[in-house]
Amino acid sequence: MTWLVWRQHRNQAYLAAAALAAFAVLLLVTGRQMAGQYQSALAACTPSHTCGNLANTLILGTPLLSVLVTLTVVVFWGGPLVARELETGTNQFAWMQSVSRHRWLSAKVGWVLLAAAIWAGAVSALVTWWSSPVNALKSQNFQPGQFDIQGIVPIGYALFAVALGIAAGTLLRRALPAMAITLAVFTFLRLVIGQDLRSHYLTAVTKTFGFLQFPAHRPALPTGSYWLVSQGLVGPRGQVPASQAHGPGISAGFDGLSVSLNNMPSACQRLALAGDPRGIFPCLTARGYRGLFITYQPATRYWAFQGIETGIFVVLAAVLILVTAIVVLRRDA
Amino acid sequence: MTASSSPAVIQTRGLSKRYRKVTALSEATLTVPEGRISALVGPNGAGKTTLLRLLAGLARPTSGELAVLGSRPSQDPAFLAGIGFLAQEIPLYRRFTAEDHIGVGAHLNPRWDEASVRHRLKSLDVPPDQKVGTLSGGQRAQLALALTLAKRPRLLLLDEPVASLDPLARRQFLAHLAEAVAAGGLTVVLSSHLVADLERTCDHLILLAASQVQLCGDIDTLLAEHQVLIGPRKDTTAIERDHTLVQAVRTARQSTLLIRRNGPVIDPAFETADVGLEELVIGYMGQHARPVPVPARPTAIGEDQ
Repeated sequence: MTWLVWRQHRNQAYLAAAALAAFAVLLLVTGRQMAGQYQSALAACTPSHTCGNLANTLILGTPLLSVLVTLTVVVFWGGPLVARELETGTNQFAWMQSVSRHRWLSAKVGWVLLAAAIWAGAVSALVTWWSSPVNALKSQNFQPGQFDIQGIVPIGYALFAVALGIAAGTLLRRALPAMAITLAVFTFLRLVIGQDLRSHYLTAVTKTFGFLQFPAHRPALPTGSYWLVSQGLVGPRGQVPASQAHGPGISAGFDGLSVSLNNMPSACQRLALAGDPRGIFPCLTARGYRGLFITYQPATRYWAFQGIETGIFVVLAAVLILVTAIVVLRRDA
Repeated sequence: MTASSSPAVIQTRGLSKRYRKVTALSEATLTVPEGRISALVGPNGAGKTTLLRLLAGLARPTSGELAVLGSRPSQDPAFLAGIGFLAQEIPLYRRFTAEDHIGVGAHLNPRWDEASVRHRLKSLDVPPDQKVGTLSGGQRAQLALALTLAKRPRLLLLDEPVASLDPLARRQFLAHLAEAVAAGGLTVVLSSHLVADLERTCDHLILLAASQVQLCGDIDTLLAEHQVLIGPRKDTTAIERDHTLVQAVRTARQSTLLIRRNGPVIDPAFETADVGLEELVIGYMGQHARPVPVPARPTAIGEDQ
């Protein structure tokens, strides 16, 4: 079967290898340049605390290109894998050789999953290497645009997208609709998981700061590339999270810790709006507020999160492959 | 060699296949002994393809029993190695060459006869290094047949194999088939509308109509059991009582009856004639043909008085 699978898909394999090589050349050239610029620019920006701007200039479209390339490739691999055979009837040719459908499917699915994993893994490794100066500067490793194109999660995405394409193609018996559905479902799921689910993989750590520490002492914020999940005031009846959607917050030089005005008693709010941030804390203390809090995912959890997200997509992929196998083995040719 | 002495390669009992609302095959009970070339005939949509696909294990029956080469059709390699099936659509990989297909066969079959397929393709002038998608329909059919035969199956199931061949190629192919069967160990079921071709090659008949098996048996026996009666147009209830009337064609003066005999016909008013395969097939097919709707006669005013 390996012979047949290779003969059927070798052109796709050559194409993928060529695309990977081109992408590697692009990243190696720009990456080396960037590393050089990073070293000289870091020396220049460190004294003036403007390194954040440097990071912004370093982020080009290249990592996002990787998402596009990976997605396109896996959609083109998964959707037609079984569907094209059903469309042209060639599955009947294969199934009337002395080979079980089980072996036929295992070989096809096995090789394409392996190819997708290698492909996505290679692209991700390149992007991870390329992004290391940006990662060091931005400290936002958990953010979409960084978290989901580096490390091992792209492998999980690729396996899932291929499996989704295969399953949709098998059920619909048509390659083109299968590819469209794969693209739609995959994009939707990625958005939902990235925006709503990811921050809940592990219980966020809470840290509180008393007002007295401000502004005399800098707050002992978590170190490294942590992920700030929420923040707010510790009020008389517990935590009052700042709702970023309503009203402006004031950060007042507390290293990113902002206090949302709309959660504050109006008397203190007026002080803040009058331009007296120093007067806020005594005002708040007088009304029973005890401090600020943040909840966050520590930087040390980065690989745990990578592992959990990859695991979710791998499990979904496995379910889809199982569905495909049941349909192929049970359904009439 | 009589039918009862050779083991049955195909045996079904009450075999049915239903797709949602449509019954494709209903209660089919049939036997094909080893070493026969069986003609599977019937009108379009009678269930020929369904029957072949059930026998090949590509489809599962809704109910009934079947044994092919002594076992129930399955996706097991050992079963598949014994079956050669060629679908009507001649499924081949369009971007593969004939050479590539030979490679596929060699990798996936235990008893692959590479020499025979090469020899056949050479003698038929099928180019080995040209993409299959660019071959003519006849060349594709020849290639697919050669590949199916190279598997050296014990049972060959062919769905309209000669439809896309020219008359010469058709005759050559059928002759080749007869040779392969004569060499022993091979049984063939082939569906076709070309009864004249079948008559020359086949010695067994399965006749399907309206999703049901109408006839199944040795062609010689079936022909001997049937008779055409030609006589005056008269009441035929006596004949219908003694024999099975298959088809009656009545003109103003004359009746032509196709009957399945139940003993000798003794009505002196009728002349008897032997039945040919084509007559027999058409007779049974006609039984289940939909009646042509007769246009309503315009009623003139006053006619009912």
